[in-house]
Amino acid sequence: MPEQRCVIIGNGPAANEAAITLRENAPDMRITIIGAERSGHYRAYLLPDFVCGKVAEESLYVHPPAFYRERNLHLRLGQSVVNIDFHACKITLDHKEVLTYDGLVLAVGSKPRIPEPLLIFEDLMLTLKTVRDAHIWRERLTEVDSALIIGGDLTSLSFANALLTMGKQVKFMLNEDSFWPVRCTEKILSEASEKLRAKGVDVILSNKIKGIAQEKDDRFHVETNARNFHIGLIGAFFGLRPNVKFLAKTGVLLEKGILVDKYLRTGFENVYAAGDCAQVYHPEFKDYWVSIGYRNARNLGRTAALNLLGGKFQADVAAKNIFEVDGIVVNTSWWTEF
Amino acid sequence: MSRIDLTVEVCGLAGDGTIAAGGLINEAMSLGNYFVLGFDSYPAEIRGFGRCVTRSRIGDDEILALDDETHVLISLDDEQSISRVPYLAHDAVIIFDNKPPGYVEEARSLVAHLEAGARLYGIPLTDLATAAAGTPRGKNLTALGAFAGVYGASPELFRYVITKKFEPKGEKVLTANLKSFDAGYEYALAQFADHLVPTFYSSVEGIREDKVMLSGNLAIGFAALDADLKLYFGYPITPATPIMEFLAKKLPSQGGKVVQMEDEISSIAAVLGANHAGARAMTATSGPGFALMTELIGLGVMAEIPAVILNAQRGGPSTGLPTKTEQSDLHSAVYGGTGDSPRIVIAPTTVAECYTYTLKSFQYAEKYQTPVVVLTDFYLDNRVENVPKPIASPEDTERWNIAPDPAGKGSYLRFENTASGISPRSYPGQEGFNFTASGLEHTETGSPDYTPNIHMKMTAKRYRKIQSALTDLPRPEVFYDEDHLAVGVVGWGSSFGSILEAVKRAREKGLSVAALKVTSIYPYHAEEIRSFMVKCEDVLFPELNFSGQLANLMGHLSSRTPYRINEVTGVPLSPRMIFANIKKIIEAGTR
Repeated sequence: MPEQRCVIIGNGPAANEAAITLRENAPDMRITIIGAERSGHYRAYLLPDFVCGKVAEESLYVHPPAFYRERNLHLRLGQSVVNIDFHACKITLDHKEVLTYDGLVLAVGSKPRIPEPLLIFEDLMLTLKTVRDAHIWRERLTEVDSALIIGGDLTSLSFANALLTMGKQVKFMLNEDSFWPVRCTEKILSEASEKLRAKGVDVILSNKIKGIAQEKDDRFHVETNARNFHIGLIGAFFGLRPNVKFLAKTGVLLEKGILVDKYLRTGFENVYAAGDCAQVYHPEFKDYWVSIGYRNARNLGRTAALNLLGGKFQADVAAKNIFEVDGIVVNTSWWTEF
Repeated sequence: MSRIDLTVEVCGLAGDGTIAAGGLINEAMSLGNYFVLGFDSYPAEIRGFGRCVTRSRIGDDEILALDDETHVLISLDDEQSISRVPYLAHDAVIIFDNKPPGYVEEARSLVAHLEAGARLYGIPLTDLATAAAGTPRGKNLTALGAFAGVYGASPELFRYVITKKFEPKGEKVLTANLKSFDAGYEYALAQFADHLVPTFYSSVEGIREDKVMLSGNLAIGFAALDADLKLYFGYPITPATPIMEFLAKKLPSQGGKVVQMEDEISSIAAVLGANHAGARAMTATSGPGFALMTELIGLGVMAEIPAVILNAQRGGPSTGLPTKTEQSDLHSAVYGGTGDSPRIVIAPTTVAECYTYTLKSFQYAEKYQTPVVVLTDFYLDNRVENVPKPIASPEDTERWNIAPDPAGKGSYLRFENTASGISPRSYPGQEGFNFTASGLEHTETGSPDYTPNIHMKMTAKRYRKIQSALTDLPRPEVFYDEDHLAVGVVGWGSSFGSILEAVKRAREKGLSVAALKVTSIYPYHAEEIRSFMVKCEDVLFPELNFSGQLANLMGHLSSRTPYRINEVTGVPLSPRMIFANIKKIIEAGTR
């Protein structure tokens, strides 16, 4: 699509890979990346290391602003999309600006998931998805000597390690919801418990929080069906869910995420979805699948961009990344878990 | 603590309160004891339409010039602010209305035009102002509140200057504006708690009013009042009109008068008449008006009549660029007119110097009985600086050579050919002293005479008189003097601040550079300028004119052909660009 306009919504690995691929293949295309966060594209998997001070904030960022300027990629940060008119090819931003596009890549990413029964405690729990979250953890951790991790996802195990290196006491509450959306098998649960305990983590095998009371800014009383205790901070690590609520009334097909075919096409012409907001249909399995993780996201971003430019590449259903922390292995592409 | 050096722009459509907002920032920061240099820009045609921009550079060290980059853009109108994007620093902070009254297409959206790295602070300015005060008119104040909140500036300073500005308009207006300000301040603190950029001292010990915000034009006006000006004759022209407006308000209270004449010719004629009669009188104009005055300036030279003429330069020739700055009337000021007509030309470089040298010009004019041209320009006239309150010393207001020695009665020669060239002055009504004022060449008594030796003798006398003024005129000033310099940068007028900043930057990089400020354009201190140039391997003249007019006048004093920077872009010279040129000259090595 020479001299045309492509908009990429999102500023994570899928979005950035899509932008770079478009630029490599379409030097004249006007490419705009719209990110809701104020921060540039960062390596989310380094956030635990940033929290414990092992890496500097600058190391989190993948590209400096000059990278985008040099490639004539129009990066717009801190700007939220509130609506998309797929028929008129128009995007409305929160600050009442209306953009038009010829091609669109939805790489809107995801946000922390809190399971329904725990939503009542949402305001008492921290998450770790963004640079801002990490700053909040850093600040709050200076005031406490212990933290409870509830759930368990790709980030939680490395975060537990980070807390230990800071000399904090760590409690880890594991149950069958842990590692969602990956099915948490007995084997994973057992391996994880063993590894965590070996490191000095107090593992609580409990499937129910009965109550949380905030007694002071830095002191919570937690009651579970296993035992009761006091803790300084509580972190919720229940995986992520696609950030697609704003698309609910746009006509695009949604389930948990954006439903796309094997070429990452949505039901609208020249509109693709990539990254962990996309649920990709697999004709062989007759079901949708999702990939998470940095490298998978990049692969999907590249595929979406190439198809937007007229290619016909299938999204690679083979897992591109094996998540492994402390010997616990999880496949990051899966079917049916949603 | 790191240095504070922040350039803030307010941009909006006329009627948005842009200029008022910029002025309040300047006032508030000045009261906070920061150094401030502000400059407004508005359309040429009619104020009240089009884009308005104010730029304020705020620092905790002396501010010499406007910076090349803007660090904060406060947008009161997105579409107008798009034009400011090229001047933004890569990580500029953008304070803008994120809930404007209507939807905007991308082409008209400021945000859409920003580069990667810009930091957005979207604030519902219109909504907040309306909710706070029942009208969106105070959204400029809401934006100022947001600025104060984001940058940690004391809200008390802003409330003080808002009160000072709006109190005369009544309680209702004042309250509405204070509420609008507070709404923006509180919103910024609440919404951007994680993204504040605390830069300024959040509290100040009391309000400091030992400095005042003055524009070049106002400084000139105050100087004229302190010089005991009696008569101002003028015809309105940008950018000199504010001087006339100011004096029209102030002069009558000290027994003077402002008369708007039918044109510039009659203005200078009246000034000459008043001075001939012994009253201090002045006029102010710009290039086109000055061109009309040149014939009568010649009369002032020939008849040896004092006159102070302010030429506020703007882009030319002809009507040119009425609201853009330029330094292209130097030739006209020095040489304009018929015949050999030497006069004093003096060019202040700062707002403070606008005061100092306007005040002194009245003395130069009287002592040397000559027209004195004070050369300013749009940038100097309209920029504001916080300067110590100007106070005239008794010697600055002393009147020089206004009457002949009574003992000379009977043998008095109005145009006596003295060693200095200065003759005893007289004016009508002084019994026993003639008071000829003729445009014809004349003898020492004033009688018309065109014989060759008289014209030779009297022309030489007039030149000698002007040269003798060098003892009183400001000497060239060297900044960062050394025995040997790689580059010496010579500058004048409003550009000198940019030059000095460039030289400072160059020296911080270890380069052997100095600056020479020339304030007395004509006559000039040739030996002092030459002795500076001798020490420099190369000399550079940066000027806001195409032909290099100061270089043309003084370049011959250098043994090498000087380098020149000649810009006629309508905007002040960029310190960064001058620095780049200095570097380039040094890197090129010896010629």
